[in-house]
Amino acid sequence: MLSQEKLQPVLVELSKKTLIGTVGYHVLGNHSMPPMLFPELQKMTLPDFVSVDELNWGPVAVIQMLEAEKPPFDRVIILCAIERPERQIGDLTVYKWEGGLPDEEQIQACVGDAATGVISVENLLVIGEYFKVWRDDVYLVDVEPGPEIAGEQLTPDMEDKIPEIISVIRSLAVGNLANLASITPLHSDHLFQENKIA
Amino acid sequence: MCFKNLPIAFDEQGNAYLKEDIANPYEYKVVDLGVEQDKLKSLMEKNGFIRSVDYDPVTRVAGALAFHSVVDLKEKKVLSTNSMATLFRGYEIILKGRDPRDAAYISSRACGVCGGVHATTSALAIEMALGIKPPPLGIVMRNILLAIEYLYDHPLHLFLLSGPDYSEELVAATNPELISKAGSKKAKNKAVHGYDTILDIMKDLNPLKGKLYLEALSMTRVAREAYVQIGGKYPHPQSVIPGGISVTVTPSTLNEVYTRLVKFFDYGQKTTGIWDDIFDFFLEEDPKYAQCGVRPATMADTGVWDRPDSYDGTFENCDKWGNDRWSTPGILVDGEVVTTNLTELNAGLEEFVEHSYYEKWDGQKYKTDANGMPLSPNHPWNKETIPKPGKQSWRDRYSWDTCPTWDRMPMEAGAYSRMYITAKAQRAPASQFLENTGHSMLINVPKYNLPEAQLEWKIPEHWNAFERNRARAYCIPYSAMVAMENWQLAMQLLRNGETAVSTPYEIPKTGTQIGFGAWGAGRGFLTHHLIVENGLIKNYQIITPSTLNAAPRAPWGAPGPYEEAVLNTPILEKYDNPEDYKGIDILRAIRSFDPCMPCTTHIMAKDTDHVVTREVTTCACGIE
Repeated sequence: MLSQEKLQPVLVELSKKTLIGTVGYHVLGNHSMPPMLFPELQKMTLPDFVSVDELNWGPVAVIQMLEAEKPPFDRVIILCAIERPERQIGDLTVYKWEGGLPDEEQIQACVGDAATGVISVENLLVIGEYFKVWRDDVYLVDVEPGPEIAGEQLTPDMEDKIPEIISVIRSLAVGNLANLASITPLHSDHLFQENKIA
Repeated sequence: MCFKNLPIAFDEQGNAYLKEDIANPYEYKVVDLGVEQDKLKSLMEKNGFIRSVDYDPVTRVAGALAFHSVVDLKEKKVLSTNSMATLFRGYEIILKGRDPRDAAYISSRACGVCGGVHATTSALAIEMALGIKPPPLGIVMRNILLAIEYLYDHPLHLFLLSGPDYSEELVAATNPELISKAGSKKAKNKAVHGYDTILDIMKDLNPLKGKLYLEALSMTRVAREAYVQIGGKYPHPQSVIPGGISVTVTPSTLNEVYTRLVKFFDYGQKTTGIWDDIFDFFLEEDPKYAQCGVRPATMADTGVWDRPDSYDGTFENCDKWGNDRWSTPGILVDGEVVTTNLTELNAGLEEFVEHSYYEKWDGQKYKTDANGMPLSPNHPWNKETIPKPGKQSWRDRYSWDTCPTWDRMPMEAGAYSRMYITAKAQRAPASQFLENTGHSMLINVPKYNLPEAQLEWKIPEHWNAFERNRARAYCIPYSAMVAMENWQLAMQLLRNGETAVSTPYEIPKTGTQIGFGAWGAGRGFLTHHLIVENGLIKNYQIITPSTLNAAPRAPWGAPGPYEEAVLNTPILEKYDNPEDYKGIDILRAIRSFDPCMPCTTHIMAKDTDHVVTREVTTCACGIE
């Protein structure tokens, strides 16, 4: 039996106000897995402190929504599908955002893209960091989509991964990190390199 | 007689006809661009060397436009320009064969900012094709929605995208001599915006940190909050449909809009004061800035904001309802209005693909419009989109943009064209808040926190980068006042019990129906030309403002608006070495058009291998 002193931080960790968000363009095959999975995520049985939302409506608008959220989200989990080298379709990587900012010219480029409708996880992270909306934990659940193709279907290997994706998101949402194989730290320095965060 | 170059004349009754005794009335000369390139090459060889330059866009996410210039840094002038759209979008092809009702939703995706205007233009095209007249409240609510969309777009352009070009950080790096002058120059409009000197304003224009930059970001949210009351969501509204809108409007809806809209009364006053001060300062300190981005005031605009007692959606009456709009459609040639009739605006349109990655199409299905007005084989109703990817060559094809012209002239488009034509033409019906004098537009802004004021946008002597942006600033109170006037109409309609917002309609399963939608985007002119055959879209053609502005050379060699504006731009930037050259004057020239895509400029300095690469990102709306 844990003492009250030891139990308190665990309870806090387990009940952090959490947002699960999906980011990605529609109609691009596996690259559209996050918005396609959004209805499934909404159906998940989750504690009251966890919300699910589509975050495809532009990073500036998303950041403004997060700024207005009272109390703010302590934990944000972003589902994305970014093509990276040396991964197979469906390979899942969990990143934990460690913060940091690129130079101001790059930040301004991110804001320019964002304000004009470009959907981008990198922009969302950078703009959120710049405007200080990220609190304790920001996780990226990033699933390898493979080459971009047009269409509204997922490939079978991506379909097969959906239970695992949902399971990982659930674990992150309730603070149960013990189930996760590994979490890779992610810093802004890695966002805008040639191969991004491979 | 509005046409000077097309073979269209008018009889005594005003009926248009094709001039007789012309063997090939729509023939045009195709010049060899290689001659210009050879001259340029020769000139550069005499003075030094030519370096190969990678012109691929470098925008990280969605680069769609590149701009190439050759600059003589000794003579401080631009020698050559090419505007290149580097991305094929193909909405015309996506829409082919679909149910026309899909068009509003799909075409809306052409842009990440101005989805509502694409949806609306599409709805108008269907309304014309099928003869659908929306109810008054549907028309009025659409007007409010789209005025609000502009209230998102204008601050975004002025402060987030174009504004940094005039910020303390940028000016200190490119023209440091102006900084000390700005520090001692008193701002004329301090009573409105609160800044004592021009340098104080410039500091708050600094990207990311400046108060004006951050305030504009927050104002985009205010506009979006108002927008979604009607559109359901932003930027791609769910409620814009042929026949009106699909959202229930109540006094509560209008009150939610009103509480946001009134914030733009003060913001409009402040913004015009800010930009008047900044631009007057530049032009007074160095009159050569008047040549930055200068070109003749030759522009096209579709007009926007329909009168509920006039708009019936028909082609037959489109000259009447077009002229009744709050902003007047029309064509301006070198500062003079040559027509305000939508039928003439439509008939004068052509698209050319000689320097674009498309195949020329055959045939001329529509030789005239429904009134008998002659139409060119290059008219959008006759055009087909046939992509033909190929090697980029300044001598031949170098862009995915087409070259649209009106009466064989490249046309500029912008929110400012809307204001310019309306002010000049004096055709718009009387308004509680707006008065067009022929040389200016008077905007009566009611009291909010600031006292009421009458703002006056004056038609400028020179049409340049600074005046484009200045006019864009005045488009904030202009749009806000149109929204307010329509808000009052909406309230009156609700009081009268006129709550219908849409008209039911059916898509005919047989026959052919044609129409065009004409409505302005945040950055101006937008048309959708539609042909429905047996219930499905047979042909769909979109001309966006950036299709006009970013056009490559016309077949006969005339440069597109970006190309011409940059070609006329003097290099006023101060630099010790070519490597330090940043290209700010060219960037200001291009950005003043609010290029409708993530755009990258590449400037090659003559006699050096120095390539300046800068992003000119604005909205993600593309060229076909």
